[in-house]
Amino acid sequence: MSEGEMAIIKPEVMKSYIWLQTADGSIQQVEEEVAMFCPMICREILQTGMGSSKNYAISLPQKVNPTTLSLILDYCRFHQLPGRSNKERKSFDEKFIRIDTKRLCELTSAADSLQLKPLVDLTSRALARMIEGKTPEEIRETFHLPDDLTEEEKLEPLRNTADDLRIRLLNRLYARKRKELKEKQKMKNVEVEEERVDDRSVDDLLSFINGGDGGFEGVRAPKNKKKNQRRKGHSKDPSTNDVNKNHKEMDDLSSACCKEDESGNVFMASHSKAAKLKVAVDGFPPKVEFDDGDIDDELDPAMKEELDREVEDFARRLNSDWPERMQEILSLGQDRKLVSISMNGNGSLRRYTSLERR
Amino acid sequence: MLMAHSFPEEVLEHVFSFIRSEKDRNAISLVCKSWYEIERWCRHRLFIGNCYAVSPRITIRRFPELRSVSLKGKPHFADFNLVPQGWGGNVYPWVAAMAQAYPWLEELRLKRMVVTDDTLELISRSFKNFKVLVLSSCEGFTTDGLAAIAANCRNLRELDLRESEVDDPSGNWLSHFPESCTSLVSLSFACLEGEVSFSALERLVGRCTNLKTLRLNQAVPLDKLPNLLRRAPQLVDLGTGVYSAEVRPELYSKLAGAFLGCKELKSLSGFWEVLPAYLPAIYPVCAGLTSLNLSYATIQGPDLIKLVSQCQSLQRLWVLDYIEDNGLDTLAASCKDLQELRVFPSDPYSAEPNVSLTEQGLVSVSEGCPKLQSVLYFCRQMSNAALLTIARNRPNMTRFRLCIIEPQAPDYLTLQPLDAGFGAIVEHCNNLRRLSLSGLLTDRVFEYIGTHGKKLEMLSLAFAGDGDLGLHNVLSGCKSLRKLEIRDCPFGDKALLANALKLETMRSLWMSSCSVSFGACKLLGQKMQRLNVEVIDERGPPDSRPDNCSVERLYVYRSVAGPRLDKPNFVWTMDEDFALKLS
Repeated sequence: MSEGEMAIIKPEVMKSYIWLQTADGSIQQVEEEVAMFCPMICREILQTGMGSSKNYAISLPQKVNPTTLSLILDYCRFHQLPGRSNKERKSFDEKFIRIDTKRLCELTSAADSLQLKPLVDLTSRALARMIEGKTPEEIRETFHLPDDLTEEEKLEPLRNTADDLRIRLLNRLYARKRKELKEKQKMKNVEVEEERVDDRSVDDLLSFINGGDGGFEGVRAPKNKKKNQRRKGHSKDPSTNDVNKNHKEMDDLSSACCKEDESGNVFMASHSKAAKLKVAVDGFPPKVEFDDGDIDDELDPAMKEELDREVEDFARRLNSDWPERMQEILSLGQDRKLVSISMNGNGSLRRYTSLERR
Repeated sequence: MLMAHSFPEEVLEHVFSFIRSEKDRNAISLVCKSWYEIERWCRHRLFIGNCYAVSPRITIRRFPELRSVSLKGKPHFADFNLVPQGWGGNVYPWVAAMAQAYPWLEELRLKRMVVTDDTLELISRSFKNFKVLVLSSCEGFTTDGLAAIAANCRNLRELDLRESEVDDPSGNWLSHFPESCTSLVSLSFACLEGEVSFSALERLVGRCTNLKTLRLNQAVPLDKLPNLLRRAPQLVDLGTGVYSAEVRPELYSKLAGAFLGCKELKSLSGFWEVLPAYLPAIYPVCAGLTSLNLSYATIQGPDLIKLVSQCQSLQRLWVLDYIEDNGLDTLAASCKDLQELRVFPSDPYSAEPNVSLTEQGLVSVSEGCPKLQSVLYFCRQMSNAALLTIARNRPNMTRFRLCIIEPQAPDYLTLQPLDAGFGAIVEHCNNLRRLSLSGLLTDRVFEYIGTHGKKLEMLSLAFAGDGDLGLHNVLSGCKSLRKLEIRDCPFGDKALLANALKLETMRSLWMSSCSVSFGACKLLGQKMQRLNVEVIDERGPPDSRPDNCSVERLYVYRSVAGPRLDKPNFVWTMDEDFALKLS
């Protein structure tokens, strides 16, 4: 047949195809306009001229296996058609990402390696939605991730707060004082009182509680530190003269200190009803919400592992380059000042710091 | 065993960039070592609910790329003057450290912290791209500090001084915004007392074409408002100055015309000293309002009703109790989108009620407003029946704060404690996150709370309960509890010590005028290394009194930063070395 006849009989033959090879060696051909939708493939074609035949197939990145490639090409085939409406595209996308987690992960990485940004965004958002609202354990299960943070890293290891320079110094001072005290006591021949350790079980405590402690009926007005309040009727403290007077009486009573009743409870002398606080719990609150911050969760659970790291670092550094550590300390923020450094007799450094007060 | 798919780091980072909530970010960081690492490098926003729970240094080491930091200082009860002056919460150490570590910091949001002019000066000089400064209930600075911010922060977008206490010596700070400043989106200085230069304000408002929020202070008279509004018809959130002047028809028509031009207004506040004759000027914008703060407006019922009945889109209303029960009836009938209601007392100190606001008003709103989920309500009487009705009507309630003005007031119908009523609230409202109790309450209410309050995160108590069992029920039952603040309740040592471990799962515990003994505080501090147990006592060192003597105030919070070093002389940290520190 002549070329012209072939064209009439088989117009599809004239369509261009691009040849792609995945990491496992398999090669397939794809319509050119579909393949060109991937920036990485597009660049390969334009810059190197590869892909026009089976022998010169474009090697795709390792993350793109045949199954994933097929999915990606479906995506490209749909979206490269300019005629589609936004609604159609959105609908396609929503259905498209309804695949199992494993596939979704592979798809995300593959799309990333092909630099197909719209698909990367689509799959990333889908993954983000899968992560949101889950506990760490649930996330681990979903993605088959190892549970390799140690218990200490997850909790708050405050065993050694001594990483802070000032606290280290304080601890040293206290240790010395403790020693001195012990020695004094030995000399006085006074019995050191055993620290009362409350190792009763909760049940014991509960039954003690249920056994009926004396109730406590003391009511005490707070200290009256009235700030300059211009808001009408919204002063944050009872400010009438009567109440002030009763406050003073209360203060006198409280400084006369405590009486003990039979059950070991302490109560303050009760006072007249007039002095009873007229302000309910939420009296005159500021009229703001702080980004709903009072309900928001905070840093704490996540930073709990930090301190173990700090301790490790500190111990390591202590055992190696001392001068290096000094450098680091010197270059740290303004909330510390090294006042003087002196060596004592046996050559160990002793540091004195001033406690910056602001 | 299924293998984990290994993502390239950038891919995971990209996925994480779609995850914004603090809770989810924290969850990610606890999944595994590699996620922890990746997450910490791409965390840009951080919220620290207690500035003493962590140190600047630890924070900076862990999160090297922060752009936005939020910090809270003093405990909530500082708002009621229960925290003495000088307690702490100075933000300077944080700013100093961040000035070195985060030169690209953009946002700083502080609440209940002490901020000095030096700090503000340092902020203005250290962060080249600083955009947002929010100082909520802060103190310690003057308008000189604000002048520095205005002058030096070239890209400032938001300056918000909510409810802060600011000294205003010169009043010229606003003029320090350079003529080249056009970036402001939000400017709120309602809490300032002094005058501002009106011409500077007008020019500033005029050239900041993206300005969406403008909250003026009382020093801005009503006749200045029309000009400001005409320069900023794009405003979404307006806080008026004084809303009163002599009655002048031309002022009224100017005002009405100006409001008519503000087609985007969604939120109104301010309204100090309202003259009702000028209120109709805002009627044209009422239909579009979603938020209305009339908590300073001393207008009476009929005017309030007229106003509120036009605000059909209202989602949030803060108002004085002048609205009375029938005003709340109107609210219930007109504002079906209402989500949040706060009713403040106009005269809490008078022995007799000055307005006709009872529990009925709240019941009405709970019936009529299906989306109501956040309530702060001051009143003088309440009944268990009303609380039960409210609970049944609104199981979607998330925040419920009831303040019966007289402490320990019983159900006014039956003279019983209000245990059953609040019990109904916690039982029906399964998503309740915040609760404040008042009225006569026995230990029974805490049984209910411990049993049903599983999502409760913040609980405020005063003058409630009979003994330790109450506190024990709360601490052992409320799984999600993060903040517990108690005053004048007969809670003592046993519940506290029995639930010591619980305290490590919470942000903080405040107890003042309770029966916690000094000995128990010492024990708690010695045993629980991860807690800072702080005794606040202005009577002098607690160990100058017997161990079984109650402490004035106790503030317990978890921390990885150890005992704080900036304590004033009336705060003591209970820990192993406590005894030695005094000698």
